[in-house]
Amino acid sequence: MTREVSVELQNVDKIYDTAKVVDGINLTIDKGEVFVLIGPSGCGKTTTLKLINQLIPHTSGTILVNGEDVTKLDAVGLRRSIGYVIQYIGLLPHLTIEENITFVLQLLKRPKKEQHERALELVETVGLPVEYLKRFPRELSGGQQQRVGVARALAGDPQILLMDEPFGAVDPLTREQLQNELLSLQEAIQKTIVFVTHDMQEAFKIGNRVGIMREGKLVALGSPMEIINSSDEFVRNFIGHGALFDALNSIPVKQVLSKDIPTAREGETLTDKTAKNGWENIFLLNDQGVCLGYVPVENLDSTRTISSRNMVPLPRGCSPDLSIKRAVEEMLYNGRAWIPVASEDNVFQGVVTFQSCANLQT
Amino acid sequence: MEAIIEFFQYFWEIRANVLVMAGRHAWMSLAGVFLGTLTAVPMGIFVSRKPKLSSYTIDIAGMLYTIPSLAVLGFFLPFLGLGWAPAIAALIIYSWLPVLRNTCTGITGVDASIIEAAKGMGATPFQMLVRVELPLAMPIIMAAIRTVTVLTVGITTMASLVGAGGMGELIFQGISMMDNGMILAGTIPVSLMALFFDQVLGLLERKLQNITGVA
Repeated sequence: MTREVSVELQNVDKIYDTAKVVDGINLTIDKGEVFVLIGPSGCGKTTTLKLINQLIPHTSGTILVNGEDVTKLDAVGLRRSIGYVIQYIGLLPHLTIEENITFVLQLLKRPKKEQHERALELVETVGLPVEYLKRFPRELSGGQQQRVGVARALAGDPQILLMDEPFGAVDPLTREQLQNELLSLQEAIQKTIVFVTHDMQEAFKIGNRVGIMREGKLVALGSPMEIINSSDEFVRNFIGHGALFDALNSIPVKQVLSKDIPTAREGETLTDKTAKNGWENIFLLNDQGVCLGYVPVENLDSTRTISSRNMVPLPRGCSPDLSIKRAVEEMLYNGRAWIPVASEDNVFQGVVTFQSCANLQT
Repeated sequence: MEAIIEFFQYFWEIRANVLVMAGRHAWMSLAGVFLGTLTAVPMGIFVSRKPKLSSYTIDIAGMLYTIPSLAVLGFFLPFLGLGWAPAIAALIIYSWLPVLRNTCTGITGVDASIIEAAKGMGATPFQMLVRVELPLAMPIIMAAIRTVTVLTVGITTMASLVGAGGMGELIFQGISMMDNGMILAGTIPVSLMALFFDQVLGLLERKLQNITGVA
């Protein structure tokens, strides 16, 4: 798979008077990834975000958006091509939800009909009823307003979305819901998202990669697991001791899925002495890839035929999107070291084992 | 009772004169407010961009406001002569402070997150002004225009002292003749006029609020 770079920061500094707010940041953000910037207050994460759409001009260094130097682009045009969502939402109180959603299109002077169609489409995308288009922002709850904020950012169909603590001002329950919606939305739209937060759990949940900032510097960069395994003392202190548990709560089991496990169709025979990778069980699949049950190797007779006759029913499984924490809970509850994983249409994906969860950190 | 009937009889006799004077009074007031607003709103927008300048400008406009209206009228006499010109010039200056100040506070008072969001979405400075700042500042600007209109209708009374006419003619003549009836015949229409303009502008204000959706 070729990596397509969406945003690139090369040695970027931002200096206010004497304070170096952003200090020599080097960063490449790939197309279609969710990149989370996290750090304590005043670490420069929001400033870094705003450098990308040039709401704040950088002092030195180079910022490339889709390969083009932002200082050579028209700032207004650049901002119109990048979606922008902020914590305090900033809906225009004098405009209806529809007019808010289509604000960028109005700025671009697109035809009225196109604007209306786009508003209809987007209000549905973010899961709000169509009647809401006629309402005013003050008539909506905080969570609904931020949904409009997201819809508005998507109106111009930008390739890049900048989100500055977008769920910081809503209650925890709504926040989790909005996070889940963003994740499923992202599966469909595949935008490049740069997301700023100070909530570690949110970072692990949303981010494909996470960058930790401190005093204007990027001190750690990597996948959530790489961050958790960091030996850097600041990073360890910042993410806290509960980080691993937090991460288990937000990392889906598909990241620790054992796929290389013995499977067989009805009537196949086991020629080796043991099943592959030392498994003691062989998983019996039908033609649709649905797992019917498993056959313990010790149950095999002399013909070593794998059939549903010597099969043991499968324990309750889980979906690949379930969190590792829940999967471990399930194992503990059932008293077994593994549980099967199946997709929504019941197709067998593999199993998640205690061991594979324990290996997460290595 | 008799006095009241007598007053109405007197008023009826001079009704044609009152109508002419009221008409002149009204157009001078409105011209003053209109031209004052027309100059003060752009000034307010301009100074709202510059926090330091805005405090100086509002101070200066405030100082102008403390000068007695008669003195302002007198000040313009050497330049503009007698008649409606010095009167309207004075009225313009009197409209400046409230409209300038409210335009400035209205614009600077727009929620920073709204400005940031609009800027982040790529609004040009002009689009920001027309689509975001002015609509949101409109109720505050309108409130100033209302206040100014009522005040101006009152101040226009002084215009008769520089030969500009208006209801002041009747009032000041009444004062010099110690004729209460004449004073009232001048004062009551002025008050009614102020009330009327205030109501009309109030209606306009509510209409604008409905359009802009800002309460």
